Amino acid sequence: MVQAINDALAHEMRRDDRVVVLGEDVGRVGGVFRVTQGLWEEFGDERVVDTPLSEGGIVGAAIGMALYGLVPIPEIQFADFIYPAFDQIVSELAKLRWRSGGEYPAKVVIRAPVGGGIRGGLYHSQSPEALFIHVAGLKVVCPSSPYDAKGLLLASIRDPDPVLFFEPKRIYRAAKGEVPDGEYTLPLGVAAVVRPGRHVTVIAWGAMLYEAIAAADQASQSGVECEVIDLRTLWPVDIETIVASVKKTGRVIVVHEAPKTCGFGAELVALVNEKAFFCLEAPPARVCGFDTPFPYALEMEYLPLARRILPAIIETAGI
Amino acid sequence: MLISRVPMPSAAWPGPPQVGALREDGTVDPARAEGIPDELAVALYEQMVLSRETDAHLVALQRQGRITHHASAAGEEAAIVGAAAGVRDEDWMFLASREFAAALWRGMPLGALVHHALGTARGPGRGRDTYAPPFWKPARVVSASPLSATQIPHAAGVAWSARARREDVAALVFFGEGATSSADFHAGLNFAGVTRAPLIAVCRNNGWATSLPSDRQTASDGFAVKAVAYGVRAVRVDGGDVIAVLAVVREARARAAAGEGCTLIEAVVPPRPDSGDVSSSPADPIARMRRHLEGRGLWSDDRDARLRDEVHADVRRAIAEADAEPSSPTPDFTDDVYASLPWHLREQRQAMAPRDPAAGG
Repeated sequence: MVQAINDALAHEMRRDDRVVVLGEDVGRVGGVFRVTQGLWEEFGDERVVDTPLSEGGIVGAAIGMALYGLVPIPEIQFADFIYPAFDQIVSELAKLRWRSGGEYPAKVVIRAPVGGGIRGGLYHSQSPEALFIHVAGLKVVCPSSPYDAKGLLLASIRDPDPVLFFEPKRIYRAAKGEVPDGEYTLPLGVAAVVRPGRHVTVIAWGAMLYEAIAAADQASQSGVECEVIDLRTLWPVDIETIVASVKKTGRVIVVHEAPKTCGFGAELVALVNEKAFFCLEAPPARVCGFDTPFPYALEMEYLPLARRILPAIIETAGI
Repeated sequence: MLISRVPMPSAAWPGPPQVGALREDGTVDPARAEGIPDELAVALYEQMVLSRETDAHLVALQRQGRITHHASAAGEEAAIVGAAAGVRDEDWMFLASREFAAALWRGMPLGALVHHALGTARGPGRGRDTYAPPFWKPARVVSASPLSATQIPHAAGVAWSARARREDVAALVFFGEGATSSADFHAGLNFAGVTRAPLIAVCRNNGWATSLPSDRQTASDGFAVKAVAYGVRAVRVDGGDVIAVLAVVREARARAAAGEGCTLIEAVVPPRPDSGDVSSSPADPIARMRRHLEGRGLWSDDRDARLRDEVHADVRRAIAEADAEPSSPTPDFTDDVYASLPWHLREQRQAMAPRDPAAGG
């Protein structure tokens, strides 16, 4: 996936000289996860900017670049470090189009690695997507495969709205797959049914998609066929795909790494209740991170792995 | 109880000396008077008078409860108009809360400002936010949110972009001295310093951030001295002296064009008189400029009376026109959240109750 994202960035920078990458250590080093490796060598200081250590400054400056007409792609080294930029994202970036009566949109794609599973501990493992989904004016994307990562990143860069592009770092190198060299985009706001099934809908994204698939595979041995949906774009979410699936299965489970309370799963369950309540045959379930900081030594206990998803599937299926 | 003040060794890091041009008697330091032809001198004065008159009306509307917020620029006109006049048409301007006169200088019609202040749908912000002066895209004027200093990194980003694209364009950003306490001031100035971005940062030091005196905002000797730590040029100027402000901003702009990067300008605005009536003070920047025009033989009582009548009529007409504007019949606040309406906002828009004009909605 690292390569696919790198390929998308290089592709877009070659195609459009307004595209600029900036962040901490993104230039000479190529980013702490090497996602931007080689870009500085190819595009130079003025397209790939090693910035001072200040997330608020990075996003704030990126907003200015976007106003000027560039297409900045700031990297926040870990999503856990995004909070100093929260004000710039929430109060400025998300609201500029609206406040200016449509005159001054600021097109920025913020890339940030998210999630646990790399022994990162509490400040290198968080999944803050719900905080940004809650803010009007932002789009939030989280790919689960190299192919999707490239297609969704190219679409995010070309989309007119600001995008938070969260990259699940647990599968940065573990997720493998063919990625075409050339040009392709995947539309934002369109989920993928990655495993068809008729008994239980399991909604997941990012690294947890693989846990959901693993749990679904195990459940099928008990005769429960899960339909697994990879949201790909978290917001605006592909409500049609979710509702169509739940209408078929009557049962839904949401899986995410972030803490359960007020996590995106809460919104998804509320939407399912609003739009498909009379099709439900069991209470919607959430398999999530705990409402605690992310524990360094016990991250495999914290994460909603297949071994926690499977019992939820069995229970929801009512067998 | 106030915490006792720790004596700071500020003398060890003195701020730069204050630059001035206009003298008490209305004459001007010849070194600073260059390049201020008669027409420009008169235009600066007229713009400051327009600013003061607009202020008086908008403050009155606020007191009547017809607008929620108006940040008066009374007494700060020289810092605002002088800075706006010191940059070039192609430069960007990032406003804070009080700099509507800078936007007017750049060609924003008075009517746009008044529509904005009254929150009509014809205002540049379509009535969505009236906190600060509006956006005015034709002149690259960017409005501010109430979060003081967030605009400083934006301006640094614009300035960086111009430099990276090798375009001779600079960014002028205004803020009050209170903003210098924020993280965004630091981030913005530091970014501009490191990248040698053509940023002209104008700190209006009027001595107070809402209720807090400036010596509770910083222990340094003024605010310009902070530039030293960012490796950018520090200038302190008499903020009641429109010619001096214009001159230092022009110098900063010339340095920006020469690739010498950012300048932090502290415009020290004279304290408001206890009466609150700035016009009654000999330090009133408008009165000072008028003495100068009179000394140059460019102004008279008669001409002043004519100007003030004109300006008064202009402002009243703009307010009457905005007042006559019917409130927006369509609930358009779901527009422009995104470039196009996503499904959830479409649903919410459809579910919105029709507006009830009788309820003032």
